[in-house]
Amino acid sequence: MAAVYKSLSKSSSKEDKETESNGAVERKNKQRVLILSSRGVTYRHRHLLNDLAAMLPHGRKDAKFDSKSKLYQLNELAELYNCNNVLFFEARKGKDLYMWFSKVPNGPTVKFFAQNLHTMEELHFQGNCLKGSRPILSFDGAFESEPYLRLIKEVFMQTFGVPQGARKSKPFIDHVLSFSVADGKIWVRNYEIREVERAKGETGNDDGDEQQEKKSSKSGHKGGKDTDINLIEIGPRFVLTPIVIQEGAFGGPIIYENKRFISPNKIRAELRRAKAGRHVARMEQQREALARRKQLGLEDGKMKKDPAGLDTRDLFA
Amino acid sequence: MAKKSATQSPKAGSKLKSQAVNGKSAEKKKDNSRRKSAKQPTVEKMVVDNEELEESSSEDEVPEANGKKEEPRSDESSEEDSGSDRDSSDGSGDEGFGHIDIEAIDDSESESELDSDGEDERVKITKQDDSEDDGEGEDDEEEEIDVDELEPEDEEDEEQIAAGTRVRQTINNKEALLTSLRRFALDTDPKTVPFAFHQTVVSSKRTEDSIPSVEDDLQRELAFVNQALEAARQGRALLRKEGVPFTRPTDYFAETVRSDETMQKVRAKLVEEATAKKAAAEARKQRDLKKFGKQVQVQKQLERAKQKREALEKINLLKKKRATNGSSTLGATEADDLFDVAVDNELNASGASKKRKSPGDGKGERNAKRQRKDAKYGFGGKKRFSKSGDAISSGDLSGFNAKKMKSGSFGGGGGGKKKGVKAARPGKSRRKSMAAKR
Repeated sequence: MAAVYKSLSKSSSKEDKETESNGAVERKNKQRVLILSSRGVTYRHRHLLNDLAAMLPHGRKDAKFDSKSKLYQLNELAELYNCNNVLFFEARKGKDLYMWFSKVPNGPTVKFFAQNLHTMEELHFQGNCLKGSRPILSFDGAFESEPYLRLIKEVFMQTFGVPQGARKSKPFIDHVLSFSVADGKIWVRNYEIREVERAKGETGNDDGDEQQEKKSSKSGHKGGKDTDINLIEIGPRFVLTPIVIQEGAFGGPIIYENKRFISPNKIRAELRRAKAGRHVARMEQQREALARRKQLGLEDGKMKKDPAGLDTRDLFA
Repeated sequence: MAKKSATQSPKAGSKLKSQAVNGKSAEKKKDNSRRKSAKQPTVEKMVVDNEELEESSSEDEVPEANGKKEEPRSDESSEEDSGSDRDSSDGSGDEGFGHIDIEAIDDSESESELDSDGEDERVKITKQDDSEDDGEGEDDEEEEIDVDELEPEDEEDEEQIAAGTRVRQTINNKEALLTSLRRFALDTDPKTVPFAFHQTVVSSKRTEDSIPSVEDDLQRELAFVNQALEAARQGRALLRKEGVPFTRPTDYFAETVRSDETMQKVRAKLVEEATAKKAAAEARKQRDLKKFGKQVQVQKQLERAKQKREALEKINLLKKKRATNGSSTLGATEADDLFDVAVDNELNASGASKKRKSPGDGKGERNAKRQRKDAKYGFGGKKRFSKSGDAISSGDLSGFNAKKMKSGSFGGGGGGKKKGVKAARPGKSRRKSMAAKR
């Protein structure tokens, strides 16, 4: 009897505690990301990995992982480093890059094919930001439309979003990480937020924003009350095509598979075949031409002898 | 616990697959019954025990996924499998019909195994099953999904068949996706959770709608920037409202993502680009000017020709006038008439008004170079005999010096020279200087 009472009271008190904690906004978003690649990455992939690692102060970069088939071993590795996210770069054939995002230990796992990589080193990006500042994550409206996109959004949020109070994070916000869906792919961009003096002619342009800013300035924030935001790209940029979502962490049933994704190997093979096709067609044509000539008795070098016996040697024999 | 479940999950999947292969229908019925019981408590269990949920949910989802996997092996045509896909996705879409639909799939499978007549018949059969079990609502839904999902996929199929590739299926198990999402999603309810907790902004509209063509880099990037800009504005407003520092103070220095070295390079490249652009613009301007200069020259020639023509016309006109009127009326002398003074006067009078005023009388200023040359070489006048002597030059005795004549050193006589007196005539430079002294 006493045990029953105890358990009951315990559960009730637990509930109370939960509600209290909800009220007091004592929330902990503890994320750690294990960032690593397989063997056989190119320098570009490696630089992209480094860029992402630089952007994620809650990340833990590890040495190259040796296997491409036994990915479930990553679970143990992540546990070893106290990570609950894994960002794994799988390089195939020294050119194709697949990116795995996984929530360890309970899943899900999302596998992407990465294309159009541009690293931060490239000179056409002019922006810069603090190392480890928390980004604002900007998601396309399309991310709310489909369940698989919602799931991907959540995974990105936990992987790329620097948790509040992360160890090496900086207290100011100076970049936006944007994810957009277009053409069935996810396009990732990283922009610096640069606050510039608002031009005087522009004030009529967005009144709502202005008012908001006025409010905020009233609430006691100095600095940049009269500034507008400019975005300057920092890099890196890449495009991700979702391929597969698994329910577990590097395992489990497949709950999403993208039919529209065609493997780069297939595309390359197709190109090669098309190229070979031209040769085959030409040879075919040649063969046909030869056959036709044969039919007409025009085989080269073997003209038929005149049947009427009008050869000079015959005539003047 | 975490480790255990992590290692378990792939195993569980494979085990279930093999089961499904062995005894399909029997297994599924069992699953369905289990599924019914497992369906309701999933949400509560989630909080209580992850491991248990892992198992139960995987059992939930596996048969469906397997069902889809098996089908293309049994019947080859891809249209058929997409049709059954649709069925199963329906089943996963709404919980109430889950049980019935899987049976329908079973039926359809057995049908296709028995006789692979054609798709139409099979679809009819499944439809009948549905209507027997529960009303017309299901049918409508099926048709809707028909229109939405099948069209693009059919195209894909054709492409892929043409390409001769393995047919990749679209598995889109919405229910499983949502349960999985619920399991690990963070709470981002804007009412209870501060924005600074997650800093995530979902834009109101789809970015793809504002991209006319994905191939167009400029338009596409602009759309992305606009999306990010909206998010940045919104985020800044929200963060300020919550009192979270946003703007970096100017005296806050810390390590940046891109090193100073890289930024130096970027800046150098910018400068280089700017100068290159400037130089190109300059060159273009020069080219244009050249082209334009030629035009100006042509214009000027035309103008001159026109002027000349006008002048000639005027002269002719005047001559005619004078011829008709008679010279005596104007009171001009014979000589005037001879040299057309009146015409000249007329021309000058009309020309003076047109021409810009020139300094001096008629001639105008010569340019500096001409002036210098004139001073050096002379200008105008008779050139002939300019160096020969005349009365004036012979009368000019300024160069004569009696002493010099007496000294004998200068032009002492032909005899002296012959005797071999050296340096009778000084060198050229000395002669020159002597001439200058004189």
